[in-house]
Amino acid sequence: MDCEEVRQLLDPYVDGELDLTRQLAIEAHLAECNSCREAAQRITSCSRFIRVNLPVYRAPPGLKSKVRTTLANEDKPKFRWFREHGRRLAYAAALLLLSCALAWTWLTLSPSKDKELIAEAVSNHSRSLMVSHLVDCASGDQHAIKQWFDGKVDYSPPVADLTQAGYTLVGGRIDILEQRPVAAIVYQHGKNLLNLFVWPATSRKIDMDVRSERGYHFCAWNLAGLNFFCISEISAADLEKFEDELREKINL
Amino acid sequence: MGEERRQFEEIFLPFLDAAYNLARWIVQHDQDAQDIVQEAYLRAFKGFHGFRGGNGRAWLLTIVRNTAYSWIHKHAPDEKLVPYEEEKHAEIISFDQSAREITTEKRKEYLENALVRLPTEYREVIVLYELEGLSYKELALALDIPVGTVMSRLSRGRRRLQQEFTQIRNAEAVNGL
Repeated sequence: MDCEEVRQLLDPYVDGELDLTRQLAIEAHLAECNSCREAAQRITSCSRFIRVNLPVYRAPPGLKSKVRTTLANEDKPKFRWFREHGRRLAYAAALLLLSCALAWTWLTLSPSKDKELIAEAVSNHSRSLMVSHLVDCASGDQHAIKQWFDGKVDYSPPVADLTQAGYTLVGGRIDILEQRPVAAIVYQHGKNLLNLFVWPATSRKIDMDVRSERGYHFCAWNLAGLNFFCISEISAADLEKFEDELREKINL
Repeated sequence: MGEERRQFEEIFLPFLDAAYNLARWIVQHDQDAQDIVQEAYLRAFKGFHGFRGGNGRAWLLTIVRNTAYSWIHKHAPDEKLVPYEEEKHAEIISFDQSAREITTEKRKEYLENALVRLPTEYREVIVLYELEGLSYKELALALDIPVGTVMSRLSRGRRRLQQEFTQIRNAEAVNGL
């Protein structure tokens, strides 16, 4: 650094406002340059002179209470309530709105869709029992059934062997639910048959605890991007057990 | 008392002297400075939720400074600052030299008058830096100018202050004779 550059930065140097690199560069220069060193000293004493001799005005007595009165007037209870609770109020309003939206969705959209789905599933199930169209692929072998579905539906429904739990595989067929072909896997439990519909949960996820309609029990859940809907005459407890066994097998 | 107001007062009332001092230096008038301080505290309180902690003093002084300027703009819009003629090549005589053999009272009086004669932009930098101890960075924020400008304004302000001081002292010396 030459003298000119140093002089430009002498004030911030004296004030300790320079970055370390330039601070050190100037220190190095001052160690060798008398006139710049004197200039730096002049700035230091100038600053000290100002601080010592410049009058500092103190707030006149009474100003503090005037300020506090001004603030108190601004802080009238009604405004204060909104300022202090405004945020909470906004949250509450947002929450309320959200609940309304959810309730609306729940009340209008989902139950009617679920209702349709249930009606369809019930009729699918009863039709499968009445006409001789229970399965298109009669097999007790999970791999054979899985293979049969391959190419008939554009996803791969998990077919689980639940013989040990008391649910034997009867076979598979293609059925229609929600205007789309779905995989139907048929199990037998005692004398009763069980239809398990599986399809991708792309448009919506289904989740229903065990319920009954027209003498059938049914329940639904979603897992790994698929909707599962199973329906049967078996007891609610047996249906729950089926769900648990199946979930476990699929997860393995 | 509202919890918010209690917090606000706790943080900012200790800076009342600093706020008054700055306003007083900018407008040069006691009552006006008091009005400005009151208005600035009100503004600060209204904007309290925007205060993110940190240096409350610098934050408040920024508001005081801005309030003072809008006050000047409103109450004395036609008052033009006297164009300042810088004696570019005039030799700068340091305070140490020019204040030699002057009583402390005179030093203070001359220095005050010298600062009043500086344009506000220099005056506020000197008051905020030398008296209120704001850093360059805080000054840059408060005055909304780059740090480099803070540097040059403070540097030039100090030099001009010394020039003014010397002029006043010389004039007094002539009158005194």
